[in-house]
This record gives sequence, structure tokens and C-alpha cells, in this order.
Amino acid sequence: MTTAATNDIAIETRAGRSLWSDAVRKLRRDPVAVACFILICLYAAIAIGSPWVLSDWSQSFNYDNLNQAPSGEYILGTDTFGRSVFQKTLLAASTSMTVAFTATIIAVPLGMLLGAIAGYYGGWVDDFIVWLFTTLASIPGIIRLIAIKFAFEGKILFEGTSFELNLGGMAGLCIALGVMNWVGTCRLVRAETMKIRQLDYCLAARSIGTGRFITLLRHVLPNVAHIGIINFSLGFHGAISAEVILSYLGLGVKDAPSWGRMIASAKMDMVVGRWWELTAAVGATFIIILAWNIFGDRLRDALDPKLRNS
Amino acid sequence: MLRFVIRRLIHSVLTVLGVMLLTFLLFRVVAGDVSTDYVNPRLGQAGRDVWKHKHGLDRPWYVQFRDHLVTSVTFQGESYQTKEKLTTIIRKRAGYSLALTVPALVLGWISAMVISCFVAYYRDTWIDRIGVFLSVLGMCMPFLAYMIIGQWLMFKISPVAAWGLRYRANIYLPIGIGVIAGLGASVRFYRTIILDQVNQDYVRTARAKGAPLTTILFKHVIRNCMLPILTNLVMAIPFLIMGSLILENFFGIPGLGGLLIDSITRRDVPIITGLTYLTSLIYVISLLITDLLYGVFDPRIRLN
Repeated sequence: MTTAATNDIAIETRAGRSLWSDAVRKLRRDPVAVACFILICLYAAIAIGSPWVLSDWSQSFNYDNLNQAPSGEYILGTDTFGRSVFQKTLLAASTSMTVAFTATIIAVPLGMLLGAIAGYYGGWVDDFIVWLFTTLASIPGIIRLIAIKFAFEGKILFEGTSFELNLGGMAGLCIALGVMNWVGTCRLVRAETMKIRQLDYCLAARSIGTGRFITLLRHVLPNVAHIGIINFSLGFHGAISAEVILSYLGLGVKDAPSWGRMIASAKMDMVVGRWWELTAAVGATFIIILAWNIFGDRLRDALDPKLRNS
Repeated sequence: MLRFVIRRLIHSVLTVLGVMLLTFLLFRVVAGDVSTDYVNPRLGQAGRDVWKHKHGLDRPWYVQFRDHLVTSVTFQGESYQTKEKLTTIIRKRAGYSLALTVPALVLGWISAMVISCFVAYYRDTWIDRIGVFLSVLGMCMPFLAYMIIGQWLMFKISPVAAWGLRYRANIYLPIGIGVIAGLGASVRFYRTIILDQVNQDYVRTARAKGAPLTTILFKHVIRNCMLPILTNLVMAIPFLIMGSLILENFFGIPGLGGLLIDSITRRDVPIITGLTYLTSLIYVISLLITDLLYGVFDPRIRLN
């Protein structure tokens, strides 16, 4: 009987291919998705490499070359201190990618865990978590981020220890984006968990004496993992845009180059004909957001076509 | 139905209480002491203590929390900076925000609907493909780029119209930028919703009985798309009064959104608290109204 059942399942899933390998196959056959993935990897490589290679950029003042237009020596010209705008853009990529990555790596697991707990345990736990995220979500969009960044201004956690966290700087930005962006993931995971909880295999696990928490970890969470992956890619470009806007407003990173700060400092330059710093920052932001956007959509289609409209 | 209404009302009240708790925690507890921004440093600790006493910041936390609840509900907040009442500020500034956001929302919605119906009508042709391609490009462009490029173009045409509100007509530029910047995402969203409906059985029936395509699209399909489209519109309501924060800040429009950003830099806690609370209150109320309307029009939601 067991063999027959296994055979049935094998036939249904087309020769035993899992959801994941199926998704990878679909994505690999899609040239646009591959191109976007390569672009994302390129940005990631720049993000990791540029702070090492260009470590002395911030001090590389050159007062003979202020505000130079793009030329052979400086591909994207120079800024108001005579530093290379091209290198600045690469360093800003590092800032953006680090912030977005850290924020999403906080937000998605948090949302998944809370969503799974709420959906699985139900009762007052569910009520409390739902109340928590409705409250957070009822402060709309950017105001929520501005509010938490305001509260963090000038705060330093664990001062004097080796775990020192400056909440006014980049760490604060990551935490602010992280603790504010888990709502969407939580909502989806909660709904999916409520469905999965009632399926036969969860009941089977419970009936042979598996504890509730273990069932949640072993049998429910792996089956909502794809929502986490999809939300990671969707959350990533949201976090990049948020970082750019916050830095533009002066509430984001202050001690590192950032596309938002480049746009803020170049916003009056267009009038006097200095277009290169703005173009570099806008172009760099545009390309990575476009790549994540398309890749995220393809990933969602490959992993879960049902989620399309949510 | 009555049970549904009561349950939704209780939920909304709890959410509003949650927002008040959250604003208290963020702006009073985490943000901490802002007296240094308002008291002359030469007055030292004594001066700061007097300032704190005047604003009730030296009382025990539960008294402060009660004060916070009362000021939030009655909108009695008072700016640290200008001593103006929040209600006066809202009355004075909300008009500018509305002048920017209402036309932008209406125009943006109409043009997005028309374009997405058009694109969905020509689905799977090159018109559709170009439309989708352009809307993806449009939504990936940073919002800041639209503003700066828009202002630069306006500066070339007429420098006085590029900033501020010296002339009434200056508002057209921010409105236009708001409409164009939001177009990509809206077109893409509405197109998906319309296409979901186009493949339904009732569309086939309507075509089989010989109804012209425009009738099907604008009479049958649009009506069935209204639920998600209405939800999308409701989400925009809180920003009607708040205005577009970044646009107001950039173009020097004296609305509430620009004020919020100024208050952040000036650390004017009562204003930030009041405006945050106001936005979420409007959001919760509009969500409640849509939910109740859904409950009236769609029995399936009421029963859940």
C-alpha cells in the first residue's frame, strides 16, 4: 500500500521533481529572469567588493578637478570635492544592498515566524498578532518609516560594549526597515498556515504524538517557505527604494555614500548643467530595482502562480 | 449584519488605541528628551527642567500616557516651535495638500483606468507588450527622478513656475508629476485585475450573445473589477489630507506633508504625533467604511 501511494505521488509531481527544482528549471529556461539574476549578482559583487577596493575614496579630494564633466579619466565626472562619481556610485551600491539585505533578512523570518504562530495556534495569540500588524499597517507607508527613524535619531544601543549599535546611522536604518516591513509576509503566511493546519499530514503528525511546536517547525514552516522566498525578493527592492528616499530626506545613512544622498546633493545641479551625478545615482537605482522587480515576478510565477494578485 | 458591524467597530477602536500606544512608545519613550533642541544651552539643566515642567514631561509615565491619549483624541497638540494649536495648523495647511492630492488622485485614476482597459483590450498584441514594458519601466524609475527632471524641464520653460506657490498655476507641475509617477504601477495593477475577469465565463456569454467589445469591457468587466480597485483607492485616502510628503517638501508647497518633514528636522514632537495619529485615524476609518460597504454589497464577506 505504501508503495502504491508513493507511486501515485510520483506520477502527480512529474517524475518526483520538487517544487524547488521545478522552479529553478523554469527560471533557467527564461532568458529575462537569467539576465536579471546576473545583474543582481553583479550588484552583490560590487556591494561586497567596492568597500575593499575603494577604501580611500572618501578622502580622495582633488581640488583641481571639482565638478568635472565625464571624460576619459573620470567616466562619470567628479563631485563637488573632485572625487570620482563612478566610484561614489559603486560605494553607494554597497550601502543600498547592505541595508536592503539586512532589513529583508530581519523582516521576512520575523513575518514568517509570527504569521505561522498566529495561523497555527489561533485563539488569543492570533488575535494579538493580528492586532499588532493591523496597528503597524494603519500608519501608512513612508510615515511609518519616518516616524521610527525620528525616534531612533541619536540613539546608541549597548554603548561602550563591542556590540555597539548606532541607531541614528546605518544599523538603525536596517532595524527600522526590518521591524516595519514584516507585515505583508506575516499576512500571507498566516493565511497559508491556517489552510495547511487542517491538512491530513498535519493531523497525522499530531495523531502520532508530535508536539504542536515540532509540527509547526517540521511540517508547516517548510510548506510556507516559498512565500518567504517570494517576499524576500519583493521586499528587497522595496527596501532599496525606501533607503534612497530616506537618505534623500536626510533620515537615512549619513556617514556613507548613498544614491539618495547623491540625488539630494545633485538636485539643484541640473539647473547649472551638471547632470552626471544625478544620472549616475538614478540610473544605478533604476537598474537594480528593475532587475529585482522582473526577477521577483518570475520567481513568484515559478513558485506560486496563485499568489499573483495578492 | 449587526454582529458584523459591531465586531468591525471594536476592531477599529482597538487599532486606533494601538496606534496611540505606538506613537507614545516611539515619540515619547524611544525618542526621549528633546528639550535640548528648544532650550538655550546656556540655561543648563535648570532651564531644561522648567521647559519640561511647562510641557508636562516631568510627570510620571502613566500621567503622561493619559495626557497623550487625551491630546490625541481631541487634537489639542501644540507645536513646541511656534506654540500653534494642531487644529489651527491643520485648518491652515490642509487646503494646500488637498489642492495637490485630489486632482492628482482623480486624474491618475482616470488615466490609469483608461490606459489599462485599452491595454487589456489589445491583450497579447504588440500594443499590450509595449504598454506593459513602459509601465514596468515607469514604476521602477525612482520617484525622486520624476520630480527633479520635471522641475528641470519646467525651469527651461518658465523659471518662476518651477518652485513655490507664488502663482496659482504652479500647482499644475507637482500634480502632473504625481500623476505620471504613479501611472506605471497603477496600469500594471489594473491590467492584471481586468485580465483576470476577461477570462471568466460571463464575458464569453456576453460575447456569444453579440454584445460589442466596448460594452463588455466598460459595463460588465469594470463592475466586477470594482472591489480590488476600490480597495486600492481607499489606501490613497489618508494621503489626501497629508499630501505627498516628498512633493510638498521638494516644491515648497505649504501643506501638511511638507510640515511633517520639517517637524522631523525640528524635532517638534506634538506635531509629529498629531499628524501620524491623524493619518492612521483616517486610514482606519476609511478601511472600516469600505469593509462595511463590502458587507452590504457582498454577503460572502459578511458571513466570514
